[in-house]
Amino acid sequence: MAADSSESVAAATDGEGATATGEVGVPPLLRRLADSPEIGIIAALIVAVIVFTSINPLFLSVSDLQNPLGVDLAGFGILAVGESIVIMTGGIDLSVGSLTAFFVVGSAWLNVSEHIPVGFAFALTILAGALWGLWHAFWITRFGVAPFVITLVTFIFAAGADEALAPNPITISSPPFLALVGSTVAGVPIAVVVFVAIVLAAWFFLERTYVGREIYAVGGNKEAARLAGIPTARRITLAYVVSGSCAAVVGLIEASRITSGTADSVSGWELIAIAAAVIGGVSLIGGQGRIVGAVAGAALLVALTDGLVTINVNAYYQPMVVGVVLFFAVILDAARTRFRARSAARTVLEAGKGAGGNLAAARGDP
Amino acid sequence: MDTGGDLVLTGVRKLYGPAVVLDVDHVVLRRAEVVGLVGENGAGKSTMMGVVAGSVTPDAGTVSIAGQMLDSGGTLRAQELGVAMVSQEFPLVGQLSVAENLLLGRRPSERRFLVDRRATYSAAAELLDAVGLRVNPRRRVDSLSVAQRQLIEIAKALGRRPLVLILDEPTSALGPAESERLLGFARRHAAGGGIVIFVGHRLAEVRAVADRVLVLRNGRLISDLTPTEATEQRIIRDMVGKDLLPEGELSEPEGDPGFAFAATALEAPGLGPLDLAVRRGEIVGVAGLMGSGRSRLLHVVMGALASTGGEMRLDGARYRPHTPTDAATAGVGLVPEDRKTQALLVDAPIRWNVTLAILRRISWRHLLLTPRRERGEAAAIVNLARVRCRSAEQPARALSGGNQQRMIFGRWMATKPRLLLLDEPTRGVDVGAKAEIYKLIEEARKEGMAILVASSELEELMGICHRIVVLRRGRVTAEFDRSDFSKERIIAAAAIDLVAA
Repeated sequence: MAADSSESVAAATDGEGATATGEVGVPPLLRRLADSPEIGIIAALIVAVIVFTSINPLFLSVSDLQNPLGVDLAGFGILAVGESIVIMTGGIDLSVGSLTAFFVVGSAWLNVSEHIPVGFAFALTILAGALWGLWHAFWITRFGVAPFVITLVTFIFAAGADEALAPNPITISSPPFLALVGSTVAGVPIAVVVFVAIVLAAWFFLERTYVGREIYAVGGNKEAARLAGIPTARRITLAYVVSGSCAAVVGLIEASRITSGTADSVSGWELIAIAAAVIGGVSLIGGQGRIVGAVAGAALLVALTDGLVTINVNAYYQPMVVGVVLFFAVILDAARTRFRARSAARTVLEAGKGAGGNLAAARGDP
Repeated sequence: MDTGGDLVLTGVRKLYGPAVVLDVDHVVLRRAEVVGLVGENGAGKSTMMGVVAGSVTPDAGTVSIAGQMLDSGGTLRAQELGVAMVSQEFPLVGQLSVAENLLLGRRPSERRFLVDRRATYSAAAELLDAVGLRVNPRRRVDSLSVAQRQLIEIAKALGRRPLVLILDEPTSALGPAESERLLGFARRHAAGGGIVIFVGHRLAEVRAVADRVLVLRNGRLISDLTPTEATEQRIIRDMVGKDLLPEGELSEPEGDPGFAFAATALEAPGLGPLDLAVRRGEIVGVAGLMGSGRSRLLHVVMGALASTGGEMRLDGARYRPHTPTDAATAGVGLVPEDRKTQALLVDAPIRWNVTLAILRRISWRHLLLTPRRERGEAAAIVNLARVRCRSAEQPARALSGGNQQRMIFGRWMATKPRLLLLDEPTRGVDVGAKAEIYKLIEEARKEGMAILVASSELEELMGICHRIVVLRRGRVTAEFDRSDFSKERIIAAAAIDLVAA
């Protein structure tokens, strides 16, 4: 069988699919780099780290004193992982920032005001996150509500719910709760260990399980996935449940970090999570992107925000600097996509199928 | 020689990288002429049409229309000169109404800024009348069937009163009666002094409508045939450079008299009640006009549309699919009609596309995908379905239509289904690729699958099926065994109400 298949590939050189000619002259390394969507973001991340470290050698070790770099990254990164999986199914989850805030307060309230033991409070919080994701998925898959809309509703609702639950900040004093950020395993904060575990699990899930592959298929072409026998509703549901659970986990980490059930620190995080995913190569159309990109995106955002503090850039200028860097990362990605599309258009055009679409694509050709 | 009214291509060449995709010395298309343009995929038909329509700028050569040079004026210039193109991929705006699509870019009345709805609708109704399509101009285009959209696209082109009308595989989505009507438009347009370029895969149609047949192969003009010269054999030989093998006799379904699939009093919105059965190793065709319920029937059997009554059995066991997942689990597969929207993961590699329906089965403990196993399965499927590609890691979009179709075939063959449903299995693929798809169908049949094929091409059904059932308005109106196949009788059964019209 193996011999057969290599033969058929070889035989293809003069068949209709063999249209490699359009790619002649492109160095293979450049092509491979252009084929990997995460390349721009990883390059930007490396540059940012080098720049900050050269200005302040302590950048990687101290970060901005109060916020260890790793814990910041754990927060953004976990949200970005959940968000990415949702975006891969072709959806969007706007609720994660508000939900995180809600769970910061909620977990503190469970533990402190309701005297529920830490482990149990953690479990309840994560369960609540999962259920909230299930709620979104229910409306999306059963009633065809647009993901943007139903998660926007939660965004608005949860933003008030935390205030209603606990009008005054709840101070967390339970040592196991605070250990999530305060304690380390081999010098690494537990929150960071959790983050790494989630990233590895998500990577493994998406790349190595058949359900993960089906998530991509649903995002790539939902009708095709459905007709291929994939339970699309279940796959979409899973994505929102994961995203909601991730928001709950981040809520716990944030509560532990600020040692108090107040939620101001996480406002706007849903947009950071979306930005991290998108600049990491997770296409908003769905069906594309990898976890490593989303994590690199989150790392870049954290490096920028924390790095600008460590080199004493005026706080007012920080968002502008972040914006400019993101702009270049995104433009680089757009250029890469165009480069790929062009060589693909050539390939397709020579394959010669279909007038309208292909000719339209070819119009971009010089 | 140039009479001023003609379309003349001189020395037109187009290169993509080092590859010559079009190289035509001199062609004159005269007014009042229908010119058939045929060739395999990749032969340069689309590029040549693109050059005439202004969407492709040639690297060398000139195009003149009625004595005026097209130069590199793009599509706008071509439109000014009277070129209108009906392409097989419809650039219609799904969210807009039929009328708005028909008049896109034109103003039906003198009003300058506001949309004159009444004028829009009446102008649209006129255009629809001209192609004999009875739909409400207020309907949204995305609620229409593919065939109806094709007719709207044609109405839109005719509405511009073009000099040169390019029809790029206009009948691929149409049933026999609608196709016939469309050929009528083409002839009438030529009779009115226009130039019609008819690009087609169905050779019988091309021969029926064309005053001349141009055959392209590898970007070059191979022959320029008069109707008497243009026999099907000759055209095919010029297209592929060799004679296709004559079709072998269809062997009877072997021994097993049992029905693999049986439906009794099956009902769904717009369908049935109908009875239908397919034996193991039998190919049953479903014929009918557009809107007769062909696709609907397949989708109901696949569980993609809910049935509202009746009973289905698979190998004797009760079969009630609520979703395509149920159907796939029970051993039913569907190669859908519209590759792009219903079958392909266009940006994903071929490997993902071919293993999509067997992911669970090839996973370790039904959970984990092992890259080596998956690559092996993908290579086997690519090989089995004879998908021609450089590697299974190429994105699906890089393949030609015929290759993509074989890929989707492979996706389902790999599941070893008991019942394989094929909806327009050769839509938009060329002659050579068609023959290969027929071969795949025959192989599937020999493995004992029961096969149900819906197609708008009668010759195709008559060529590959043991039996043909004819649908009209969702019901079976006739059933023919291979020995009684007759085109006239099938068309009559499909279109009693249209025969009178």
